[in-house]
Amino acid sequence: MPNFTIDQIRSIMDRKHNIRNMSVIAHVDHGKSTLTDSLVSKAGIIASQKAGETRFTDTRKDEQERCITIKSTAISMYYELKEEDLAYITGERDGNGFLINLIDSPGHVDFSSEVTAALRVTDGALVVVDCVSGVCVQTETVLRQAISERIKPVLFMNKMDRALLELQLEMEDLYQTFQRIMESVNVIIGTYADDDGPMGNIHVSPERGTVGFGSGLHGWAFTLKQFAEIYSQKFKIEPQKLMKRLWGDQFYNPATKKWLKTQGDGYIRGFNQFILDPIYKMFDAIMNFKTDQVVKLREKLDIKLTGEEKEMEGKPLLKTTMRKWLPAGDALLQMITIHLPSPVVAQKYRMELLYEGPKDDPVAIGIANCNPEAPLCLYVAKMVPTVDKGRFYAFGRVFSGKVSTGQKVRIMGPNFIPGKKEDLYNKSIQRTILMMGRYIEAIEDVPCGNIVGLVGVDQFLVKTGTITTYENAHNLKMMKFSVSPVVRVAVEAKNPSDLPKLVEGLKRLAKSDPMVQCSIEESGEHIVAGAGELHLEICLKDLEEDHACIPLKKSDPVVSYRETVTSVSSQKCLSKSPNKHNRLYMTAEPFPDGLSEDIDSGDVSAKQDPKQRGRHLADKYNWDVSEARKVWCFGPEGTGPNMVVDTTKGVQYLNEIKDSVVAGFQWATKEGPLCDENVRGVRFNLHDVTLHADAIHRGGGQIIPTARRCFMACILTASPNLFEPVYLCEIQCPESAVGGIYGVLNRRRGMVFEENRVAGTNMFMVKAYLPVNESFGFTADLRSNTGGQAFPQCVFDHWVAMSGDVNDPTSKPGAVVTATRKRKGLKEEITPAEHFLDKL
Amino acid sequence: MADAVKFSSGEKEIIERKLEVSSDSKSNKRDRFEFYEISRCVDVINRRDFQKIALQFPDMLLVDSAAVASMLERDTGKKVFVLADTSYGSCCVDEVAAEHVEADLIIHYGRACLSQTRRLPVLYVFGKWPVDVQSCMEQFQQMFPDPEVKVLVFCDVMYSHCMGELETSIQCLCLYSNVIFTKLTHGAFEDYAKDTTSDKAQKNCDDEKTEDNNQDLSQNSETGYYCKFGREFRLPENTELEEWSMFYIGSQSLCLTNLMMSYNKCQFYSYDPCTNIGRQETLNVNKALMKRYYMIQRAKDAQVVGIVVGTLGVADYLQIIERLKKMIKLAGKKSYLFVMGKLNVAKMANFMEVDAFVLVACPENSLIDSKEFFKPIVTPFEMELACLRTREWTGDYITDFRELLPGASGSVELEEDANDCNEVPDVSLITGHLRPAFRSPSDTAEPLSSSLVERNEETTLSTQNCITSAEFLASRSWKGLEQNLGETPVTKAVEGKEGIAAGYTDERGLEKNS
Repeated sequence: MPNFTIDQIRSIMDRKHNIRNMSVIAHVDHGKSTLTDSLVSKAGIIASQKAGETRFTDTRKDEQERCITIKSTAISMYYELKEEDLAYITGERDGNGFLINLIDSPGHVDFSSEVTAALRVTDGALVVVDCVSGVCVQTETVLRQAISERIKPVLFMNKMDRALLELQLEMEDLYQTFQRIMESVNVIIGTYADDDGPMGNIHVSPERGTVGFGSGLHGWAFTLKQFAEIYSQKFKIEPQKLMKRLWGDQFYNPATKKWLKTQGDGYIRGFNQFILDPIYKMFDAIMNFKTDQVVKLREKLDIKLTGEEKEMEGKPLLKTTMRKWLPAGDALLQMITIHLPSPVVAQKYRMELLYEGPKDDPVAIGIANCNPEAPLCLYVAKMVPTVDKGRFYAFGRVFSGKVSTGQKVRIMGPNFIPGKKEDLYNKSIQRTILMMGRYIEAIEDVPCGNIVGLVGVDQFLVKTGTITTYENAHNLKMMKFSVSPVVRVAVEAKNPSDLPKLVEGLKRLAKSDPMVQCSIEESGEHIVAGAGELHLEICLKDLEEDHACIPLKKSDPVVSYRETVTSVSSQKCLSKSPNKHNRLYMTAEPFPDGLSEDIDSGDVSAKQDPKQRGRHLADKYNWDVSEARKVWCFGPEGTGPNMVVDTTKGVQYLNEIKDSVVAGFQWATKEGPLCDENVRGVRFNLHDVTLHADAIHRGGGQIIPTARRCFMACILTASPNLFEPVYLCEIQCPESAVGGIYGVLNRRRGMVFEENRVAGTNMFMVKAYLPVNESFGFTADLRSNTGGQAFPQCVFDHWVAMSGDVNDPTSKPGAVVTATRKRKGLKEEITPAEHFLDKL
Repeated sequence: MADAVKFSSGEKEIIERKLEVSSDSKSNKRDRFEFYEISRCVDVINRRDFQKIALQFPDMLLVDSAAVASMLERDTGKKVFVLADTSYGSCCVDEVAAEHVEADLIIHYGRACLSQTRRLPVLYVFGKWPVDVQSCMEQFQQMFPDPEVKVLVFCDVMYSHCMGELETSIQCLCLYSNVIFTKLTHGAFEDYAKDTTSDKAQKNCDDEKTEDNNQDLSQNSETGYYCKFGREFRLPENTELEEWSMFYIGSQSLCLTNLMMSYNKCQFYSYDPCTNIGRQETLNVNKALMKRYYMIQRAKDAQVVGIVVGTLGVADYLQIIERLKKMIKLAGKKSYLFVMGKLNVAKMANFMEVDAFVLVACPENSLIDSKEFFKPIVTPFEMELACLRTREWTGDYITDFRELLPGASGSVELEEDANDCNEVPDVSLITGHLRPAFRSPSDTAEPLSSSLVERNEETTLSTQNCITSAEFLASRSWKGLEQNLGETPVTKAVEGKEGIAAGYTDERGLEKNS
């Protein structure tokens, strides 16, 4: 593999048909980074013998130490397909050299947002599954996300060495394991993608060559294609036809040399006979020190070792031999180049999902055609810290046009609205760069279909954004994350004069991570919110050491709660305005089940046409049709899961106070009466309003505070309660440890709802709901109670009402209310409803 | 009467309205002559020959006003007025009200914030509230067992009369060598008279200003001389303010909060003469500062700022308003000026388009906990932090806006030449959005034209300036001018309620029943 120069890369960047942008996604510890290393070794950036031993894409020190990927990292590779393989490529191509932009992503759920960012800039995904543990929760999450972004998947079964050496699986058992994994993956694909969808049939199947097998650690891998090529001469069948024989119910009788579709006497499955058998023989020979056989096999398979390598024994020899025989790089890179789409192919069907504007404007057409001459359109998916503290490279993908150093562009943040000036900056790009793992290289310009780093735009974007040259361009759609920041920590500078540094640090932290939320609360607390404990731990470490560089005081992690009601208000709540001349009558009631979630997902939203929304509410939730059309607003922030419904009849001047009532509603739902948390799942009915006939006496000053008081009273009289966030927790462990898991979960109010054996192993998969509040220290607790054999993965799943009375400080929600009020510096007791109510 | 249309609920209610006044039982019995220092007042009036005297009482002392006025009139033979209903805090001298009667002296009774005034001579009568010096001494010794401790003693103005007594008794102990008593600069009228001639003070106002500023606001000069909030003290050489503990005589009040915010690096102890309880102040100043920092961030996010005049008495209030206006404009925000007397939630919520208010008031009334208010209310100092890049948060906190004015110790430059500013936007930690960068004046001047704006090819008219309240109006659902002809359903007229809005005739009965 020759070393390539920037100029060479730049020239291939123009050959858009020969580009493959792909991410490697998988569950944690399924071997993404290790596998990536073996690919990178092929691309000539790090030396071949180091493959499988360094984690090239783990660029941070803590990533290297913990052996866990935290940030997604991009690497460019160059691969030349052999002449005979070019025939496999169905689409257009331009020469035999391919540029592969690979992004290695983290597998831990806490860092899912990094995966989302990686998926946005790529067109294909290499889904890695540990063939010992099978498809896990995170496999499903990332795969689902990939498909919804229209990313084409290929599958790789990793850790075959463990299946053979540790589990000593029989050939047929191993085949069945593969078959099962493949089926579960296809079930997920089938659930979220249609065969006749824009991407076509994207199910993975070994006989088509979209499934790879091997061991990332040992650096060997194959697809059926490799073996089909070896045997094609012997059988005188074309490799493509032969591949069909090597998978599924295809049985071969070596004696009669006949194929059958059912297993008969003397018939052996094709996959076992032609693929597993030689591998098993090789393993057996080397690991059991059958030197003669080893030499014989080596000659037969034409594997050439150096003198030094021949001296090796056992595992090292196995590694070297396998790597020479079935080099992982070749197999995988072939699979990637042949089966993953080029940007030209992918952008055609991704455009409608990506672009918010009209689908026939110059940008939309530029994206769909991947046209480098069209106006520039680029999506910044994340920010990568530079050596220069506080500055970032904007990391993104050019979808249309060309981005170059010094170019004047429009930088549009997520709040940009075409025609307005908000969140829009006209600036020039200081430099365009190529990002390759730990290194960066300056590059003059980058055409569409490529991944790029930009210098000098970081200050004009919070986290993500769209960069374009077309004046009327709309935004590219924001990324939607599969996890939510539900765990929070309050940080405080030890020295108050360091506050600006802390704030500056928080801003940098917010930029450096796609998911983390940094905010200042009214109590003056600075909050860092993340997806989970590990995520927060990493964020806080970064904040203290890299971003703020000051000593910090950190609170224990706390959970954010939501305030809600459980019944209809016990009375019609009346609040009078300060001048006593205006009256509002309202009640609160809980949302029907599912409506909050509908609002979260956007099925019901403030932007919707009121008629359409009314129909949805009436049909699905049995709301009165006329009332359902009179939804005044959503809140908090105008979009949240609470509503005001106007049920008044014939009130004069009502439309004049609407804005004031809405303002009071936004206020009250942002800071609820229980403990100043957001309100969720409450419908407020405005029953009647008496207004002063003179406009001056019913202005905002009279109505806003009154409306707020009335909303507060409504909540307090409707059996208020708290929602707490709940994790979906998946734990994998050996059978012997299941008891320990139950013990830990019971102590932490966890609830197991599914438990099953991972077929073919003695591993168990336990799925449980665990309140986020109880999850702190859960991982450590679980490990110590199961002798380190159980590994949980927790991801936010839903909100659940707490049981108990909020007014009773000894109950669970009561304790939460008290603690939260104390933390926020509020009065200890909940302000009673009487405070907000007025009498006639 | 019965037939006349009633427009209000009757004057009876207003006369009988009860004010919440915490008058303690002592006040009735105490000797008014002694308590109100009648003899001192008479002495000052006679000596300086004031003709018209205005008396300003806080609500809680208003009961004694008539008695005091007649005593003064009897003893001096001059015209005496009682000023009713101050529009702002009762701690501030209401010069404007006094000018209505063309008074040439104001006697201010009760608690005072001691802010510098400009127009009229002021005589402060704090009222001599009793202090049990013995018990105070005991508490002091309990709180500071270490005789080497460095203590600064502050007191609420009502207790200032006993400071001398306390000082001597502490010196008598010969234990504490490092106790410093702060002195009130306006405590006695004579001190003030030294600076002002007996002519109308207003005349000399301009000449005195610089002198006054130097005298009143100088601190941190090499001598270690501090003078803040009408209290002066001099620290010995080679000591830093941070090393000192603060001992405060008085109950929980705005005065104490103000001192604690200003000297936020020092530990505070307090002794309350009413209850005879001494304690270490637990109000977490750090937390309070962080809360204020949150407000600063809100102010930074604000595009439209309301400047609320909260005083007409404190010297230089016009200068600070001008400065605020200029500064807000420099920061690319829009400002409006409000004069609305005493603040309340309803008044402030009338202006929905204003994102934040900045209150110009005396130091003790500046810190408003705006939790109940619809929009945050900040101090001029906080507004400067939000708007000026030249002012940086250091943890020091300035409540007295006079310190911000040019020439004073806490002042910073307004950046007139903002040309070199690099337009780097800032991320707001409240909204999570980018907020626009500081705009240079040239930048804001250009798009303000009223000429035609180019219509975008496919979208609506693009707004050039995104920060006016016109945009707020555009975002309202009800604008008040559209006719909506045919959109409102036709309904039959029905008989409405009768009476006035505070209580309609059909509700009157309910009220009596309940």
